[in-house]
Amino acid sequence: MRLIAVILSALMPLCAVAQSRDAILTDVTQAHILPRFDHLVEATAALDAAARADCAPGSADLRAAYHAAFDAWISASHLRFGPTEVGDRAFALAFWPDRKGFTPKALSAMIAAEDPAIADPDAFAETSIAGRGFLALEMMLYDPAFADQGDAAYRCGLIRAIAADIHRTARAIDRDWHGYARILTQPGPDSPYRSADEALQELYKALTTGLEFTADTRLGRPMGSFDRPRPNRAEARRSLRSLRHVELSLVALRDLATRLAADHPQIAASLDDAFARSIARAQALDDPALAGVATPQGRLRVEALQQSINDIRSLAAAQLGPTLGISAGFNSLDGD
Amino acid sequence: MTSRRRFLAGLAAATLAPMPGWAAVGSPDFLSAALFDDGTYRLVGLTSAGEVRFSIPLPGRGHAAAAHPHLARAVAFARRPGRFALVIDCATGDQLARLDAPDGRHFYGHGAFSPDGRRLFTTENDYEAGTGVIGVWDAAKGYARLGEFSSAGVGPHDVVLMPDGKSLAIANGGIETHPDTGRTKLNLPTMRPNLTYVSLDGSVLEQVELPVALHKNSIRHLAVRADGLLAFAMQWQGDLTHKPALLGLHRRGDRYHLLSAPEDIQATLAGYAGSVAFSAEGRQVAITCPRGNALHVFDAEAGRFDRAHSLTDVCGLGPGPSGFVFTTGHGDVGHLVGSNPAVSPHPRVHWDNHLVPIRPMI
Repeated sequence: MRLIAVILSALMPLCAVAQSRDAILTDVTQAHILPRFDHLVEATAALDAAARADCAPGSADLRAAYHAAFDAWISASHLRFGPTEVGDRAFALAFWPDRKGFTPKALSAMIAAEDPAIADPDAFAETSIAGRGFLALEMMLYDPAFADQGDAAYRCGLIRAIAADIHRTARAIDRDWHGYARILTQPGPDSPYRSADEALQELYKALTTGLEFTADTRLGRPMGSFDRPRPNRAEARRSLRSLRHVELSLVALRDLATRLAADHPQIAASLDDAFARSIARAQALDDPALAGVATPQGRLRVEALQQSINDIRSLAAAQLGPTLGISAGFNSLDGD
Repeated sequence: MTSRRRFLAGLAAATLAPMPGWAAVGSPDFLSAALFDDGTYRLVGLTSAGEVRFSIPLPGRGHAAAAHPHLARAVAFARRPGRFALVIDCATGDQLARLDAPDGRHFYGHGAFSPDGRRLFTTENDYEAGTGVIGVWDAAKGYARLGEFSSAGVGPHDVVLMPDGKSLAIANGGIETHPDTGRTKLNLPTMRPNLTYVSLDGSVLEQVELPVALHKNSIRHLAVRADGLLAFAMQWQGDLTHKPALLGLHRRGDRYHLLSAPEDIQATLAGYAGSVAFSAEGRQVAITCPRGNALHVFDAEAGRFDRAHSLTDVCGLGPGPSGFVFTTGHGDVGHLVGSNPAVSPHPRVHWDNHLVPIRPMI
């Protein structure tokens, strides 16, 4: 008995850590991941219904449903692993950045050929990934170049097909996530995640990749270089959503970071402060399409926002990463 | 251990021109970029025993370097997306030339000399087109730009001279980036890395692609054995439920082989290998895995996993007088023969990603 007690006491600290890691995994899955995909399904169902009710690009109901559903996706889009990445579903929802203008090309080709795939969801899901998803829908609803291209009835059918396909993709992601949740929360020898550490590292990677994408791509792409700003490269600028995506992603990543740091209140607090500063900067910017990057003063303000996100990244790498078994070494952080 | 070939090459250089060979700077075995505790980034000439033969300040964080085959000259590359590289006289520390990437190009951080040292080849990004190129520079005439050719892929990272002296091997990592968006990866769903062999004038001789299921395994770093066996190290861009092999071997005209540790050990690597090298005698091949804090050694002939060494933030790797030499971000320089590394600590130095052998090949 004494021997067992000694062994037990030696194991206790390990168990305590393991338990809290399991608790974090369960909390992130149940309170962060699943509600986001459940909400995405509801919002895309409403979008699908709105497009069926009225496919006019100027329809207030359709545009409101588009905004609500795109909000739901951006709030979940940092969770790009597992079911979200199967068959490049995330790209089928938002093909961006579109470096070579594939989206307008794909849409024009569909309209010019009056591709019958729009009448069959399975066939539409096999068309160019660039002609699907929220950014294709945005172009159909907001870009004057598509307002009178080809036949009006075909355009209407195309808008409905894109909306229905978005909902279909969202449903597939959500359905698979409800199964994958067990994989993420029950790591072990038979799971693809061998340990709680490994599963936590996947979530940490979602946090850091999400921050990187928002700082370097959502802001970096329109900023371009000082001599050559690129306001036309801002994400979803036609529907004036570029800055909103930055804010929504920061709000979502703040929630994830707080939950990942649950065992370390001081780290959680400093991360939360850093997110609060970034979000306040984004809210004060008042530049929905990030068009201000074209002026020196506007660019400076966007750069300050970008820097504040980079501060969160440094904080996460220096403080949060090591608590999750990610070394903050000179080489391990380099990624080259 | 000074090889006879190196000695003769150095002698030839010394008699033909009053320019110092590597012996004049203490016969270092490797070049390595490093961050010193005083905040300076430096290029260091390092011996296998861990002795620093020279250290020369750089204007920013370095990555790899290219060692001239016989003159004590090194080309130090800035970390990507760097726009310049410096040609440094390792005897005096003087900057002899500066390579500026042409408009629309940036360096990836690796380069290789032709066997006579007259040409330098650099991996570069044609970032508006999103394709890779190899820049060609005239090392004999002040490093003027001679031209460029396609790397036959996206994101060429490492390039090495093959032992035939007439061809290069290029690791096209497959990842598209643009300097406007820093190091953000723009094409992960569609990336297709490859390994490409070209002649020195850029004709594609042979190309190797991994199967589609492994299209997110970015081929980044290379090492070549004297008989032409090429080792390539990879970095997995997919999710962490996969534990793909991070090391491959290929010989021209043959099928490639992927080498992996048993799955429970492979699972600790976080899908990331930083450097690759053959051992001095060529019987073993190894990768360093700074995210898994491990060095994995394989039997190069049998293609079999041999053993894992646990080493915090290990990354630089090269052939030692026997076995391997490695470096860590915490300052250790280790000589690994058999199972126990002999380590000389440099507590004030953070060794960067790579050890570049001054002998072009073993």
